[in-house]
Amino acid sequence: MFSLFKKKSSSYSATLMPSGKEIRVKRGENLLTAALSAGVKWPYKCRVGSCGTCKCKILDGKISPEIDFGYVLNFDELNDGYALACQTALKTDIKVMVNLKK
Amino acid sequence: MKTFYVNARYLIVPVMTIATILGLFIGNYFAWLGVILFGLNTIVDTLTKNIHLRADFDDNGNSYGIKRLQYAVMYLMLPAFIFLQVILAWRLYQYTSVTSFETLSFLGLSYQSGITGFNLIGSVLSAGLWAGLGIIYGHELSHNRKEGFLVSRLIMALSGASHFTYAHVYNHHLDLGHEDDPATAPRGRNVYSHAWLSHVGQSQYSYDLERDKLKKQKKSFFSLSNKWILGYLYSLPSILLFVWAGGVLGVLSLTVIWAISNFLLEALNFMGHYGLIREKGKPVEHRHSWDNDNLFTSWFFIEIGRQGDHHVRGETYFWELDDVDAPNYGIGYFSLFVLTLFPPVFRRFTQKLLDDWDENKATVAEKEIANQFKNLSIS
Repeated sequence: MFSLFKKKSSSYSATLMPSGKEIRVKRGENLLTAALSAGVKWPYKCRVGSCGTCKCKILDGKISPEIDFGYVLNFDELNDGYALACQTALKTDIKVMVNLKK
Repeated sequence: MKTFYVNARYLIVPVMTIATILGLFIGNYFAWLGVILFGLNTIVDTLTKNIHLRADFDDNGNSYGIKRLQYAVMYLMLPAFIFLQVILAWRLYQYTSVTSFETLSFLGLSYQSGITGFNLIGSVLSAGLWAGLGIIYGHELSHNRKEGFLVSRLIMALSGASHFTYAHVYNHHLDLGHEDDPATAPRGRNVYSHAWLSHVGQSQYSYDLERDKLKKQKKSFFSLSNKWILGYLYSLPSILLFVWAGGVLGVLSLTVIWAISNFLLEALNFMGHYGLIREKGKPVEHRHSWDNDNLFTSWFFIEIGRQGDHHVRGETYFWELDDVDAPNYGIGYFSLFVLTLFPPVFRRFTQKLLDDWDENKATVAEKEIANQFKNLSIS
């Protein structure tokens, strides 16, 4: 209950695996936008959560999906912690696996 | 001052929607106010066709747009559009129950109780046009997180088009410029057939999307998790309201409102990508959308006309969208809408623009597809 009154952080860190590079994701910003701003060549196409190109796997930490990933990701991917970076806000620091060579 | 100007300029639709509601409330010839405003807007849009502005940013590159204010306005448009339907239903009730004509007062505002058939027609047309223009908020909010997405669905449901929100994000943004996108009008199609084909096509897409999603989740198609069914259920209160208020006449009135508002929605889709071509699987680029960014269109339609930028940066707030050298009609939406109503005139107008696109913007593969249209004498 007291977490309701806890001051939310203005940004969280995302550690990109396997490189280990760390980026900051501001509140109100999504993971993809933050990564692109930091110069990361994260693969993407539509930026509205419909193509699945920016798919990544959350290894640790909590996120807040901005849309229902169920239309793009399959059942197994959802259970395995996959997310669409362009529609992912962070609730804690995270560690995320992303294939930058796509 | 700049902050005020940048934010206030997007309030034209809210102000005019309230004026239309007041017109319906005051009654008599004021019931036609929504129609008159639509006509006046067409004139202003035509007069300002040569004034084009860029997005406004301060020296540090920050936008002057106030996110909380713009979102509050967009969310408040939902109750405004609900109120528009409620006021019309009240007028329908007065007409069917043959309420006597008298001048009454409410909170100091004089209004005419009772309505003639002629003014009821004006009320229905006014409500249809402004419900249709409300779609710009349904569109903008469809690109937002949870609560915004729901408000978008509810605004669209007032026009019986809640399927739009899913089809727009998952189909249109992914497939535009290709035959897989029902909202993209191929060369040669007119706005009348596009309105029908696009509406049905998007609803079909939304149906398939839910069917496949629920199958993946091992859930029944007939469940409240089915957003396609749920979307149409959101429209049920409007149907019940108009049946209660006017019986058969109420159903007829709601049909007219939905027909007008959906026609306006599909006309926007029609104008946004008419005749532009993209190879399947290739990235969406600025050249795959038409921009309509003259002053009045930009302000009135909350920059929905900056389609080129919007389709490449779909997550960008409308007040940050900018000119990206996308193909441009050179006139605003109101003026262009009038042209679309006359298909031969519209085709003549777009012919040169499409020839220019083929020549200067299309890739080799896109040119080949354009040639296939030309070989069929479709331009």
